[in-house]
Amino acid sequence: MTRRRRRMPRSPSDLVGGAVLYVLAGIALLGLVGPSLVVIAISFTEKRYISFPPEGFTLTWYRAILDHQQLLDSAVVSARISLVVMVVCLALGLPAAFSLVRGRYPGRSALGAFLVAPQMMPGMVIGVAILFFGAYFAFRQSELMVIIALAVFCLPFVVRVIMARLTGIDPTLEEASSNLGASRSQTFARITLPQLLPGVLAGAAFALIEAFDNVTVSLFTASPRARPLAVELYQLIQFDSSPIVAAISALEILLALVVVLVLARTIGLEGLRD
Amino acid sequence: MSAHASVAARGGARRASPWRALHASIFARGLGPALPAVAYLVVFLVVPLALLFSFAFLSVERGVVQPGTFSLAHFAEALGDLLFWKVAWRSFWVGVVATLLCLLLGYPLAYLYTQWGDLGRRLLLIAVVAPLLTSAIVRTYAWMVILGGRYGLMNSLLIDLGLITRPLRILNTDLAVIIGMTQIHLPFMVLPLIAALAARDPDQEDASLSLGASRVETFWRVTVPQSIPGITAGCAIVFALSYTNFIIPQLLGGGNYATLALQVYEFVIVILDWTKGAVRASLLLGSCFVFVFVITWAGNRAMAWSEKRAS
Repeated sequence: MTRRRRRMPRSPSDLVGGAVLYVLAGIALLGLVGPSLVVIAISFTEKRYISFPPEGFTLTWYRAILDHQQLLDSAVVSARISLVVMVVCLALGLPAAFSLVRGRYPGRSALGAFLVAPQMMPGMVIGVAILFFGAYFAFRQSELMVIIALAVFCLPFVVRVIMARLTGIDPTLEEASSNLGASRSQTFARITLPQLLPGVLAGAAFALIEAFDNVTVSLFTASPRARPLAVELYQLIQFDSSPIVAAISALEILLALVVVLVLARTIGLEGLRD
Repeated sequence: MSAHASVAARGGARRASPWRALHASIFARGLGPALPAVAYLVVFLVVPLALLFSFAFLSVERGVVQPGTFSLAHFAEALGDLLFWKVAWRSFWVGVVATLLCLLLGYPLAYLYTQWGDLGRRLLLIAVVAPLLTSAIVRTYAWMVILGGRYGLMNSLLIDLGLITRPLRILNTDLAVIIGMTQIHLPFMVLPLIAALAARDPDQEDASLSLGASRVETFWRVTVPQSIPGITAGCAIVFALSYTNFIIPQLLGGGNYATLALQVYEFVIVILDWTKGAVRASLLLGSCFVFVFVITWAGNRAMAWSEKRAS
């Protein structure tokens, strides 16, 4: 909406309405951004417990992460899990998105609804269901079980983002390519994939982050011996009040910010609006 | 996909048996590539959910189903338990309040997004999406820090301002859970609202203003009706997320706080009574779908009503 709005004389009720609008939006923005800033500030405190305002400036808590072997191990577990989940979701989601956008078979929209259905499913229910499924087939909680469950949870994100991108691609370019004698694989590699790449990357980034951060699914499916970072943090938060959790949180916030900025620069966040 | 192939496939399907039609769908019409994903979800979502429901009717001991124990007694036990209803009611009303607060705070944000210039929009979108990509644990932790204890930010601030003299107990109350849910689910409200508001027709507002309506009137009578699909989508997703979340009530509600989702967690992981867990998980999922359906239905009705009024 770049058009300029006509200036109208404002009545008192308009002024009040405008003020209410800005106050509410201000509270919302403060609520969205504020807590992250508080956590970052706390992570530098010299006190041994959490207090506000933080006192002094120290990197002790960041150094403490490096000495916390359990946390480091769980970060490795999480990294491994989320990478595999990302690969599985792309391998399943990319062809599925193609089929849903380009296919010409009956029941296509119903199939699409089925493939994105897990998104409306509470993570906890997916976690419990997979746990029961594993128990029924004598298959224990493990990294593999976390991966299987998280792939169910993340697949809809990947399918939706790639579908949205694919719908926007003009098929005449591909037709021109094949009319000019390119093989199907050449057309896919040279014409389709480059246009699709932003969607694939966004889907991959989402799957990776969702899988890394997820706790509702992982809590039910992870074995106590190899816990993902999110589950480890969940336990730590309840029993440890030292600012080490704030330091880890600050690092995660930073990571999320980097990903958002990269996404904003490369593909734009507008595509993720819905 | 060439036009010839699909026409041929369509012509072929008309006289073919259902089996040949399926064959044509898979090979000529592009169903094939979707099959691995479909198979994956059938094996790892549909079958597990079916098991979850069946566990609610059977006796289960440590994951081993006791054969011949089918009974409705477990459901009857849960539904006859007053505590169950108390807990379910709290899940419900906390979810409703969080949803309404998200709408109240999210709508102005989404509205201003459509009024601002490029830079403002970009920054606002970053402010909305960045929390979405930050782990829920981290964001809940932030609220524990802010709301918690004698030395928490909120109490320090209120005491410094002279509004209170003794620290308030905010953490471990309904209020803390509602605040946490509202903030953590706010992006899920704002994004569909932005999509709906950005798609609205600005000419209608201009027309309303030039016909002498005030901005407030224009907002309520022209802008809001056009954004009903966004409101519906946002409310449905925020309610579903709030109603089924157990991390936020666990961390911000404290040890004795109970919601339906928390009960599922406790029965399944702590008490290891899987039958009771399965009953509550089934009821949670079922009721969640009913509420989402009601929200969507109400949204559609509101849309139809406002279109009828406009014409």
